[in-house]
Amino acid sequence: MKRHLLLPVIGLVVLVVSVLFYSNQSNNKNNSRDEVSSLIFETSDFYNNKLINENTLGEFYIVNFFASWCKPCLAEHPLLMEMKKKGVKIIGINFRDDEENFKEWINEHGNPFEYILRDDGTIAYEMGLIGVPETFFIVNKIIQKKIQGPLFYEDIENYL
Amino acid sequence: MISYLGNSFIYISLVLTILFYINFLKKVIPSTTSSLKLIYFINLAPFGLLVYAFSISDFTLLNVVENSYVDDPIFYKVTSAWGSHEGSILLWVFLINLFGVFFLYKNQTVEIHKNILFISTLFILYVIVSSNPFTYVEANENVLGLGLNPILQHFLFVIHPPTLFLGYIGLIIPFVISAHMLVSKNFSEKLFKEMLIWSKISWFFLTGGIVLGSYWAYSELGWGGWWFWDPVENISLIPWLLNTALIHSLQVSIKSNQLKLWSLNLGLYCFIASVFGTFLVRSNLIVSVHSFATDPLRGLFLIIIIAYLLAMTVRLNIRSISNFNEDSFNLISRESFLLLNNIFFICSALVVFIGTVYPLFSEMILKTSVSVGAPYYNFAFNLLLAPLILFMAFAPQINWGKHEKKDEQIPFIIIFSLFVCLVSYYFSNNFYFALSVFITVPLFLKSILALKNNFNKNISFYSQWLAHLSIGFFIIAAVYTEQFDYEENLLFEKESSNEIKLQNNRTAIIKNIKDEKFQNYQRVSVDLLISDGQKEKELSPSKNIYQPSGQVTNEVSTTNNLFSQYYATISTIESNKVGINLVYKPFINLLWLSAIMLIFAILLSVVKKR
Amino acid sequence: MKISKIIYKLIIPFIIIHISVISFAGVNELSDYFKTIRCLVCEGQSIQESDTEFAINLKEQIQKKYNSGIPIKEINRELIKIYGEEISFDPPKNHILLWGTPLIVLIIIFIFIRNKIRFFKRV
Repeated sequence: MKRHLLLPVIGLVVLVVSVLFYSNQSNNKNNSRDEVSSLIFETSDFYNNKLINENTLGEFYIVNFFASWCKPCLAEHPLLMEMKKKGVKIIGINFRDDEENFKEWINEHGNPFEYILRDDGTIAYEMGLIGVPETFFIVNKIIQKKIQGPLFYEDIENYL
Repeated sequence: MISYLGNSFIYISLVLTILFYINFLKKVIPSTTSSLKLIYFINLAPFGLLVYAFSISDFTLLNVVENSYVDDPIFYKVTSAWGSHEGSILLWVFLINLFGVFFLYKNQTVEIHKNILFISTLFILYVIVSSNPFTYVEANENVLGLGLNPILQHFLFVIHPPTLFLGYIGLIIPFVISAHMLVSKNFSEKLFKEMLIWSKISWFFLTGGIVLGSYWAYSELGWGGWWFWDPVENISLIPWLLNTALIHSLQVSIKSNQLKLWSLNLGLYCFIASVFGTFLVRSNLIVSVHSFATDPLRGLFLIIIIAYLLAMTVRLNIRSISNFNEDSFNLISRESFLLLNNIFFICSALVVFIGTVYPLFSEMILKTSVSVGAPYYNFAFNLLLAPLILFMAFAPQINWGKHEKKDEQIPFIIIFSLFVCLVSYYFSNNFYFALSVFITVPLFLKSILALKNNFNKNISFYSQWLAHLSIGFFIIAAVYTEQFDYEENLLFEKESSNEIKLQNNRTAIIKNIKDEKFQNYQRVSVDLLISDGQKEKELSPSKNIYQPSGQVTNEVSTTNNLFSQYYATISTIESNKVGINLVYKPFINLLWLSAIMLIFAILLSVVKKR
Repeated sequence: MKISKIIYKLIIPFIIIHISVISFAGVNELSDYFKTIRCLVCEGQSIQESDTEFAINLKEQIQKKYNSGIPIKEINRELIKIYGEEISFDPPKNHILLWGTPLIVLIIIFIFIRNKIRFFKRV
């Protein structure tokens, strides 16, 4: 009888040991971070060279990643302009872009952003960016919603 | 016209099959063999018709409009026939019946053919219900077709799916023979031998299909990798692993009359695995690089087919499980080593299966998405295949039944290979390479010694010898290229020089940039020269822009350096700069060579029976 | 008596290989590490094999962190925290069902054979 039991017991012991051994390895099942990367408040604005003060942003603001080489960004651009008119504060983060192209793009299509940061990819990495455009809705300093790809009216109507 | 003809062939075959099942056909055609032949040939017709429709670009078929382009070369027009989901399912039906016809010449047992026809009918129903390629559309002068996906316009890709399908469907013969034997309890040696031949034929095509697919990915996708543990690759590997196990256990069933139920039950699962593979690809349940069908209804019907086949199989398993312990043999005997081989192969197949479906399971049950990739499979295969390869070195010399003689070479060989392993670890400083050396050196040594002792043995010795040896070469080559390849990103700018220094005193020089126009695409290519002081190698990677879709593909350029290869693709091309991705793949050609050796070995063992 | 001995002789080496392979399996080189990171915007490719902006950026960021002396294990932990487990082709080892299966399956089959086939009978 003992023989019959020994093998499963050994298997079980190995399993338990490996569970204990590896259980300290990342147990974090949280897929995305819920706070904005502090880098946003440590990088100075492209136009007026000042840091953004988180406290002046208010209860609700939006972080939008964009680039001049990204075609879907143009699709959501009118929507962003409209939001600006309604008084929503948008932080635009220019993701991996050529400076000249970026300036031209803003001049041509208009500037919907309260602040513009230029990012070589570091902020994007910290924020878990997958592609441009990507938009983060921040309420009370917590990321409430994340939209990958261009925005549609349905995405923002609750926030207006 | 073709739409009408195709549909009528499908329905006629359905009616004939039903008539055959209720024994009504006998009243018209007295000979069962000829009525079987009739049904098989009628089932072959729809696919032939579809190929014809594609070859003349008959745009009255929706399927042709969607999947071919009027200016495509004739070769790609024909092959578009199985590029689509509908076409590939029809090809599946075609191949089932093709195997049926060939099998009919060898064996006229009605029960077995009834099973083949039954499975074929299931798939014909599938064609009718959810993927009929003979849908009619009004012909229109302006329709030029939407084109075959340009990434599929490659000679290898054209022969890769049918080859793999031949392998998958070849397993239907072992399946129906096993089912027949388990039901009738008639374990005749003749049927076991037939089963072995057919599973070898299927193995030949499976291996060929996997290698072609792998070579296609290597030479077309432009990442320099040859195996990605992509779900689509995995599901072709599962039947391969099971079939390998089957071939080995059938030897035991034939030569020493043991493990019969084991082989038969294994034979059932081989085909189940290949149908399951098709299901996973077609239903798009597991999204991967290759998937192109997106309709979940299609998956549902396939689930029904699999569930049915699986239920039948499990019923047969339960029936035979009580008789399993009739077998007994010595620990040190060929039988027990072949059994060991079976255990390892079945385990590997299970591991691949679990790795493939685990992300699905995790997402549905654990609510977390994970990705299972190379690290997991490498780990599991190291664990399972390392001992297997070690056993493979010694097992072929062990006698059937009872092994009396003690092999005095074993300690010497182990010590020698340990020594070689340590030396290679010292020089390469790479654990995986050293491990692969340790497990393959005994195989090489034993193979050389075996050749000396068995100089005049028959062909079956050589086919086995070659197959095992090729596995050894494969392991060494695969580990070497994966561990010691390196990649360089070259960026040539217009203002600066057209020369870049690489590692090991080599230089890359850009010579010129060409722009050419072809029948259905435009090509931009870069001529590159790599020199290491003495030898100069030329490469010309290119980008193709296809009409009418405007899709861009990267064409790889390779150049050989004995067994190694330079592998170049264009990463960026703009007016003022050109980026080239250069990969050096050492020993990659040995890998392909070993695959060819393996295929040749199995061909040898199939041919010798004639 | 003998049966269990033989099984242990076969199983124990496996356990040793099992554990040693897991512990050896850590990657040290950056290019090997890139092969274990899934490119989330491509289908089934790793970032090593992809030229998308996502993959290029990730490679650059990881390279930067690596150059500043952060060990790969640490980088990986952070990466998984940001992007979720999906990002890694190397699932965390606490997926016991996945990682333990090769071993469990081996054990089950050995037990099955021992019980069902009188395999070890010495004639």
